[in-house]
Amino acid sequence: MDLAKRLVAAARAEGRTALDEVSSKRILVDAGIAVPRGVVGADPAAAARAAATAGLTFPLVAKLVSPDAVHKSDLGGVRLGLSDAAALLEALEALARLARERGLGLDGLLVEETAPAGCEMVIGGVVDPRFGPVIMAGLGGIFVELFEDVAFRVCPVAPADAKDMLEELRAVALLRGARGGPRLDEAAVVAALLAVGGAGGLMERLGASIRSLDVNPLIVAPRGAVACDARIVPA
Amino acid sequence: MSDPIGARFAPLFAPRTVAVIGASATGITPGNEFIRHSLALGFAGKIVPIHPTAASIEGLPCARGFAELPEPVDYAYVAVGATQVPAVIAGAKGKLRFAQVISSGFGEIAAGQALDAKLRAAVAESGVRLLGPNCLGTYSPRGRISFVGGSPPAEGAIGIVSQSGGLAVDIILRGAQRGLGFSGVVTIGNSLDLGPADLLAFYLDDPATRAIGLYLEDVKDGRRFFEAMRAARGVKPVVLLLGGQTEQGRKAAASHTGSLASDARIWSGLARQTGAAMTSTLDRFLDTLLAFQTLAPRPGAGTRRVVLFGNGGGTSVLAADAFARAGLSVAAMAPDAIAALEALQLPPGTSVVNPIDAPAGALRQDEGRVAERVLDAVLRLERPDAVVMHINLPVFAASADQRADFVENLVQAALRARSRHPGAAHLVLVLRSDGSAEVDARKRGYRARAVALGIPVFDEMSQAAIALAAVAGFERSAGSTG
Repeated sequence: MDLAKRLVAAARAEGRTALDEVSSKRILVDAGIAVPRGVVGADPAAAARAAATAGLTFPLVAKLVSPDAVHKSDLGGVRLGLSDAAALLEALEALARLARERGLGLDGLLVEETAPAGCEMVIGGVVDPRFGPVIMAGLGGIFVELFEDVAFRVCPVAPADAKDMLEELRAVALLRGARGGPRLDEAAVVAALLAVGGAGGLMERLGASIRSLDVNPLIVAPRGAVACDARIVPA
Repeated sequence: MSDPIGARFAPLFAPRTVAVIGASATGITPGNEFIRHSLALGFAGKIVPIHPTAASIEGLPCARGFAELPEPVDYAYVAVGATQVPAVIAGAKGKLRFAQVISSGFGEIAAGQALDAKLRAAVAESGVRLLGPNCLGTYSPRGRISFVGGSPPAEGAIGIVSQSGGLAVDIILRGAQRGLGFSGVVTIGNSLDLGPADLLAFYLDDPATRAIGLYLEDVKDGRRFFEAMRAARGVKPVVLLLGGQTEQGRKAAASHTGSLASDARIWSGLARQTGAAMTSTLDRFLDTLLAFQTLAPRPGAGTRRVVLFGNGGGTSVLAADAFARAGLSVAAMAPDAIAALEALQLPPGTSVVNPIDAPAGALRQDEGRVAERVLDAVLRLERPDAVVMHINLPVFAASADQRADFVENLVQAALRARSRHPGAAHLVLVLRSDGSAEVDARKRGYRARAVALGIPVFDEMSQAAIALAAVAGFERSAGSTG
């Protein structure tokens, strides 16, 4: 059984409402989508040590990994821009304290490198009651939320479909150097769309065992695209 | 089931024997309507009304049930009370190929769920393929059957699947007024057994069908439907008219055919993915089908460059906007084409750049034959993907000058130009009316003749733009297949 199916089955067996971020990202990496370099520790000291051992490059990001923290950024479960070891340790201790105070289960503390600057993109997969797995793409946070500038396709999508999804987005100009910005890596976006929604992609492999899969955000840089957060909800 | 799909569906589209359950010896029920309309179309096979007591219905001898019939029936029109339907289907085992169940009161209402399950079981047990329930029937000119009075007898090239029976009546009758001809119109209602994917596959394979139109509120088996749509991509044009695309529409669809409509955004993605044309109104649906019926898709990158030619300056400007919105280009013509048009010495007030805006007087010159020279120059030198000719009919109808039938001459000129430049460009005609009885009557005649000759006719420029854009979309998907 492949890794994605195994981790989803495990989450279902444990009755989790969603896979934790670390498991979701392992699934993405296995499917060929890049995620920031990172390590997990059981407590603040272990996480800080692991980050040092791995040689992660500052500034770093620290995140609470909890089965109970669905919207971890709303809870204050994400600390960004940690520029040195002292700031990292302080942030990790604050996260552990937060978990204790709020009575949140603690699966671990995640430390990651900061993603390169780029444009935020959303890739979503849902299992439609009629069409089965479908994939959604949206670009540029505000455009997705405010203007519902998103494109849907039924899986599996062909490479031409994935490219056409981007063409359909009004915000596609953001990938192409709008407002004096650099041209961003469209090929990496197409590859990520295919990894999720293409033939043999995650949506097809996981099928009805999941309800949804979200990569949000996928940061698209001039070279490459990195999934900074991911969430997979078992059926 | 290894028979070719055309052979499998032949008993539905060209039945030799038909049974009608639910016709009345004394009144006029939907069953009687079906018998009369099919006979009016010239149905030449055998019709057997099945009735518990009557000796004959509509002059046809009755049978008591399928058991009495010596040989299997191809198609049964079933319009009895919902509670009787499962027994009718179960009793037809081995004696019936297709049943169309008109009765409602099944899965589309909460109280009908048990009956729905019973009918499903009867279908599985009997091996009868079922259309409906909760639909109106099938119109098949090749088989000379119809559930609608006034269905045209001529066989056409448009295959329709409609989830709604009532809307199919509109499609047939309003479509016929626009010159649409049908290879079949099948209503599927709740699609308990056969669904849009099955009929789409039939039409895709059917040599008589050139384009396919689907009115849907829901597809029960979305995966199969998606696969069928993918198979059609670039092969035959598919035009979608979708109901239940808003929250309000979804609620209406739920009580109409028990549908659970998917997100409109998924549908629109599916249409882009499969090269289908999405339409949101019946008129656009019919206009788009008319374009596919009459215009042969051009190979290559897809229709884009359009030349507009007609009378009316404001109309030309509004049209340029409408074509731009539809993604089609109305750009200045090449210098040699413009020079050739200038050499024709059209009267003052004529603009020859594109749009070619010629006042009525200019068009009327030489009994309207000047139009042929204009078209000739455009097709020979500019070589656009499409020429849209437009006429404000009242200007000609009300004119003191009635020596020549200008519109007729224009159509003939277009045909001659087309034959001199075969495959050169789509030729499209827009006939604008003021809605008066006199002009509308003339327009009807012009429309019928032009469409029969392969020139689609639209009421307004914006409609031509939308229909032509759909043709362009199909051409692109055909170009990118394989």
